[in-house]
Amino acid sequence: MAKIAIGSTYEGRDPELLEGILPLVDYLEITPETIAEVRGGEVEISADILTELKNAAGSVKFIVHGVGLSIGSHEGYSANYLRLLDSLLEHLDIEWHSEHLAYTKVDGEHLGIMLALPKTREALDMVAARVMELQRRYAMPFLLENVVHVIPDCPADYSEAGFLNELTRRTGCGLILDVYNLECDSHNHGFDIAAFLSELDMKRVRELHLARGVEHNGFLLDVHSQLARPSTVDLARGAIAGSAGSARVAVFEFMPEAVPGLGYEAIAEQLRQLRSALNN
Amino acid sequence: MDLATHQRKLLGLFRATYQATPEDGPYLNRVAASRDLEEGRRNIFLWRLWVLERTSVLTFRILLRRRLLEDAVNRFISQRNISPFRETQAPDFLRAMSDHEDQSVAAVARFELALEQVRGGDEASYAIPFPTDPVALLHALALDRDVPAELAHEPAQNHYEIIVSRNLPGHFEVRDLA
Repeated sequence: MAKIAIGSTYEGRDPELLEGILPLVDYLEITPETIAEVRGGEVEISADILTELKNAAGSVKFIVHGVGLSIGSHEGYSANYLRLLDSLLEHLDIEWHSEHLAYTKVDGEHLGIMLALPKTREALDMVAARVMELQRRYAMPFLLENVVHVIPDCPADYSEAGFLNELTRRTGCGLILDVYNLECDSHNHGFDIAAFLSELDMKRVRELHLARGVEHNGFLLDVHSQLARPSTVDLARGAIAGSAGSARVAVFEFMPEAVPGLGYEAIAEQLRQLRSALNN
Repeated sequence: MDLATHQRKLLGLFRATYQATPEDGPYLNRVAASRDLEEGRRNIFLWRLWVLERTSVLTFRILLRRRLLEDAVNRFISQRNISPFRETQAPDFLRAMSDHEDQSVAAVARFELALEQVRGGDEASYAIPFPTDPVALLHALALDRDVPAELAHEPAQNHYEIIVSRNLPGHFEVRDLA
C-alpha cells in the first residue's frame, strides 16, 4: 500500500517555521483567506507570502483549504472567496482544493463560526449542485470536510455518513476526514465515531486532518492550538487503513497564533512522529 | 422548517437577537436553552481575541491593561458584521475602537489604523490628537509593559498630536502642542 504523505498548514510570514517544516512535509496546505491582506480596501493574496510559497515550490506540493466559501449558506456561496482562489491559482500550482461542509454566513451576515448543515434532502440537493458548479469551474479535485458540530444536530433525512455518501456519489467529490473533529463531536455530543466510520464510504477520503484544541467548560474546542493527542493519531491510522489507499495525505493543522506556545521544534517533532506513526 | 428559516433563526440565536418561541418546535428551543450555544458564542469570542491580539497589537494591549478588552470585543462582535477574512478584522476593529469612550484607547486605535493604512500604501497624512504623552504610552504598549501611572489621568485638552504619513521617517512623528 502506498505510504501516506504528510502535510502541514502554513499561513506565511514565519520563515523560521517554514524552514523547519519544509524538509518534513510533502504538502503545504494553504488557506487563501489567511494569506490575504487588505490593500486599498480590497482583500488580495499577499505578494510577500506568494513569494515565500513560490520559493518553496521546488520541495513541496500545495493544496488549498478554504474557510470562507460558505458552501452551505442558503443564499449562495462567497464570490469573494472564489476571487481570491482564482488569484492564487494564477500564481501557484495546486494539487486539489477543499472546503468545509458548513456555512459561515446567513443573508450576508457573518456568524463568526462554522455551523454544520442539517442533513436534509434540501441541503443535499443545494450543496450537490454547488459542488458540481465548482468542479466545472476548476479543473482539479474538490474535497469537503466534516466540521465540528457546535450545536446539536437537528432532525434529518440522512445520517452524518449517509449524507456524505450520497453527496460524493452524486458529485464525485472527495472528502477530508478531520479525525479531531470527530473526537470533538464524540466528546461534546456523544457522537458514535465507530458507527460513522463503518457507514462512511472511505474510498472517497483523500485527505485527513489532525489537530487538537483546548477543553473549556467541559467542551472540546476546535481551535488548533495544541499537538495532536495519541488517540487522534490512532483514529487517523484506522481511517487510513480503512480507506484502502485512497487517503493520500495527513495534514497537521495549527494556527499561527499557537506557534510561539508550541515552539518550532515541537511542531517539527510532531510532523516526524506523524510520518512514522501513520506509515507503520 | 426550510433551510433559509433554519439558518436565519440560528443566526439570531447566536447573536442573541432572536428568542425561540413554542412555534419554533423542540429543536430550536433545545438549542436556545443549551450550553452548546453559550460555548459556541464563547468560541466566537476566543477566535476574535486570538486574531486581534496578533493584528491590532497596540490597541489590544491598551484595552487589556485598562480591563476594557472583554467588553470591547463583545461589543465589536455584536455590532459589526465581521468578515471571515481575518486580515479585514483588524481595520474593522480599529475603526470601531477609534470611537471608544476612553480617549487614550481611541487615540491609540486611530494611530494604529493610520499606521497600517500608510504602510499599506495610503498617501494621505493623518493628524491624531493625543490626551497623554504618546511616546511614553506607545513605548509601554510596544514593549507590553504597564502603562505609566501618570498617563492614567487624562487632561481635558489634547496636548499632543501624532502625524502619520508615508513621507515621514518611520511613518510618524510626535508633536508637543503645549
